[in-house]
Amino acid sequence: MESPLHHFEVHTIIPIHIGGLDLSINNAVVAMWVGLAIIAGSFMLVVNRGVSPIPGKLQSLLEVALDFIRNMVFEFIGEEEGRKYVPFIASLFLFILACNLIGLIPGSYTITSQLAVTGAFAIGIFIMTLVIGFGKHGAHFFGILVPPGVPKIMIPLMVPIEIISMLARPISLAVRLFANMTAGHTVLAVLFGLAMTGPLWLGWLPFGFTVVINGLEIAIAFIQAYIFTTLTCVYIGDVIKLH
Amino acid sequence: MSKNNGFRQGMQVAFRLGTELTVATFIGAILGYGVDRFFGVRPWGLAVGVILGGAAGSLNVYRAAMLLTEEEQNTENDDNNS
Repeated sequence: MESPLHHFEVHTIIPIHIGGLDLSINNAVVAMWVGLAIIAGSFMLVVNRGVSPIPGKLQSLLEVALDFIRNMVFEFIGEEEGRKYVPFIASLFLFILACNLIGLIPGSYTITSQLAVTGAFAIGIFIMTLVIGFGKHGAHFFGILVPPGVPKIMIPLMVPIEIISMLARPISLAVRLFANMTAGHTVLAVLFGLAMTGPLWLGWLPFGFTVVINGLEIAIAFIQAYIFTTLTCVYIGDVIKLH
Repeated sequence: MSKNNGFRQGMQVAFRLGTELTVATFIGAILGYGVDRFFGVRPWGLAVGVILGGAAGSLNVYRAAMLLTEEEQNTENDDNNS
C-alpha cells in the first residue's frame, strides 16, 4: 500500500550536477515543461495559422481567456497603468492554471503542490512590487506604511502592523496555493487508497467520492489560479496608487 | 468560467480570509521571537509580536473583505443595468 503522500515525491530522471549545484531534471521539472509547452504551443498554433477575424475554436478560447485577464487587470490596477502588466499577469494565470490542471491527470505531477514553486512565484512578485513602488514613488513609497487618516499618536503602532501585513502578503499568497493543491490531492489519494483496499461491495463508495472530488478539484484549479492572479493585481495596484 | 456559483464563491472567501489571518499572526510571532533572540528581552518580543501580528491579520482580513463587498456591489450593479 502506497502512502497517500507518495505522489508528491520528486524523482530524478536525468541527474545533472554542475559545481555542487543539483540541476537534475526531475518529474516536477518535466511537468512544468509540459505546462509551458501547452500554453506556448496553443498560442503559437493560433498565431502561425493566422489570426482570423472569424475565430476558430482554439482562437476564441484564448481570446476569451485573455479578455478575462485584461478586464481583471484593468479593474484592479487601472486602465492606464495596467496595460503593461497584462502580459505578465496573463502568463502567470495561464501557467498556474495549466500546472493545476495537469496535476489532475492521474500519474502526473502537481508542481503547484510544492511550497518551493509557489514560494518562488510569491517572492518574485513581492520583490517586483517593491521595485515598482520605489521606481514610481522614490522615498515617498515609505508612505505606504502609514495608512491615510491615522492620528499622529497611532503612527508608532501602525508602522509595525503595516510592516507585518506587508510581509504576510507573499507568504499567504504562496501558502494558499500550495495548501489548497496539496490538501486536495491528498484527499484524492486517501479516498483512492480506501477504494483500492476495501472489498468491492464497499469500495465503490470512496471511488464515487474520488470522481466527485475530482470535479471539485477542477473548480479549485480555476479558482486558485484566479485568486493568485487577482491578489497579484491587487498588490501591484496598491503600490502604484499608494492607497 | 461562471462566477455565480454560490458555493465556489463562498469557498474562495473562506480560503482567502482564513490564510490571511493565520499567516499574519504567524509572521508577527516569528518577528517577535527574532526580537527576543537578538535583544534578549524574552518574553516581551513574542507577546507583543503575536498581538501586532493579530492586528495586522485583522487589518488584512478587513481590507480583503472590503474588496469583496466592492466586487459584490459591482456585480449587483451590473445585474441591475443589464
